[in-house]
Amino acid sequence: MNEYIPYLSELVYGAISGLPLFVPEIALVATFVIVILADLFLPGRKSSLTFWLCLAGIILSGILSFGQLSFLDQGVPLFHEHIVLDPLAVRFKLIFVAATLLFSLFIRSNRTLMEHKKGVGDLYLLLPAVLLGLNLMAMASSLLMIYVSVEMVSIASYLMVGYVSGANKQTEAAMKYALFGSVCSAVMLYGMSLLYGFTGTINITDESFLPGLSALPDSSVTLAVILTMVGIGFKLSFVPLHFWSPDVYEGAPTPVTAFLSTAPKVAGFAILIRFLGPFYSFASVSGRVVFDFDTILCVVAIITMIVGNFAAIWQNNIKRMLAYSSIGHTGFAMMALVAFSQAGFSSLIFYFAVYVIMNMAAFMLADRIETESGAETASAYKGLGRFFKLEMACFVIVLISLTGLPPTVGFVAKLLVFSSAFEQYAATKSVFFLLLLVTGAVTTVVSLFYYLKIPLNAYLRKAEGERELTVKPAFLTYVIALLSFLLVLLGVFPDVLA
Amino acid sequence: MIPLSHFMLVSAALFCIGLYAVLSKRNAIMVLIGIEFMLNAAILNFVAFSRHDKFAASGQVFALFAIVLAAAAVAVALAIILNVYKYYKTIDPTEIDQLGD
Repeated sequence: MNEYIPYLSELVYGAISGLPLFVPEIALVATFVIVILADLFLPGRKSSLTFWLCLAGIILSGILSFGQLSFLDQGVPLFHEHIVLDPLAVRFKLIFVAATLLFSLFIRSNRTLMEHKKGVGDLYLLLPAVLLGLNLMAMASSLLMIYVSVEMVSIASYLMVGYVSGANKQTEAAMKYALFGSVCSAVMLYGMSLLYGFTGTINITDESFLPGLSALPDSSVTLAVILTMVGIGFKLSFVPLHFWSPDVYEGAPTPVTAFLSTAPKVAGFAILIRFLGPFYSFASVSGRVVFDFDTILCVVAIITMIVGNFAAIWQNNIKRMLAYSSIGHTGFAMMALVAFSQAGFSSLIFYFAVYVIMNMAAFMLADRIETESGAETASAYKGLGRFFKLEMACFVIVLISLTGLPPTVGFVAKLLVFSSAFEQYAATKSVFFLLLLVTGAVTTVVSLFYYLKIPLNAYLRKAEGERELTVKPAFLTYVIALLSFLLVLLGVFPDVLA
Repeated sequence: MIPLSHFMLVSAALFCIGLYAVLSKRNAIMVLIGIEFMLNAAILNFVAFSRHDKFAASGQVFALFAIVLAAAAVAVALAIILNVYKYYKTIDPTEIDQLGD
């Protein structure tokens, strides 16, 4: 133990000097503690105090993160390089804050959650905790931080999915999610232990990490990297690891589904960028490719787009269809990743900011229509256009945006991703990139079939038997209208977001 | 001193046993035990490798974090399985299939 004493002051200094740049996360920890105490001593009937405290803490953390954008121009390693704070991470953090805020509003307007006998206080206190995990995912630069942050988000997600547990479907979804997730994270941990053994460091930005890997035979490196990618792939739900998502999305309460389909997925991309970064920079410095990510990512992206979009066609349940469509979106977003350039990352950020708005709005609409009319499937939407005038109009906008057609911002987002992938193709002339571009274009057309099924049923098909519904606009309707308006507004002025 | 390769062999064996249990067992608790095997294989690797690390600490610290997080995840999974039993009166994952097309 004595050999550590000379390093002790340096270690303590390293920890303390990182604190000023860690303020948004400290704010979240403080919110978490305050929310627990508030919910314990002043629970109230609807946990209103807990809700407002939680909202205030998250907004505060968002503002603090936003403030970091002004003075950061390059990556700052913190806490002995376990986390790296750079402008990219801050942009990801802002997307997470937006998703979490929408999620908390969504919980507030969901009847099943609000009327549950357990109350929603415990659900609110998960929000700052899961946001902390998401932020750490965006900043992680060591294997330890990757593992800890992925597990933080996973455990909170299991709890959210199983939170209501008022019906068979929810418990089933929660069990499938927890078992599949734990297996994936155990596999990832084994991969990490191999990476640590091969290189002698858990820090992926360390100067001995990649030279250590490049000295080993390809087969061992491939094994370790693929095992590690399993855990990240679970969060992203790309194709060999997507089995859980349709079941979980269908079974979980709709607000939770909306959250799971956005924030953790985006965070998975953030962590993938962090994990791949050293490999690409080592390849450009030394000219040695340790692991051929380009090909693997291309193939995975192509298969993910095909499986997600084609499986969505056969779905009747709206939430299940949106689950497959979000798998398709994962594949599409991976197109921006294979370029692995700053331009690719900024198009990815834009794509995800838009994706969060679209997907949240789509699930809010599905929830609104389900609570008012009980319609869960596309065929049950027949003739509903008459009753849900504003909702269905918004749904059309959201679906057009999800497809990626002008004048909505979905078009701009897809265009940016496409052009960044095309630049990569023009530079390398690789067959894989060409296939990727073709698949992206074809699956966008395919997606039109299942997205347009909803307005088709709602407006043009007649329901069997007459039914009357009186739909009063709720708070959620206005949130949806605002989000749909944003989608069109940003489609005309995309510079606002950038 | 036991050579490093022995530790790696034991941990690889543990990992495979765990994976086998996860894929073949028809009882959610047994699947959890399989997951525990896999986690402990990784933890054994970390501790064994940290013997040769320059600081001899990061692997052991990683092992501690992994143990704590594994315990948290198992606690949540067990609570969920208890709920599943309440509604289905079985914890065989293959029999619990109401979700789907």
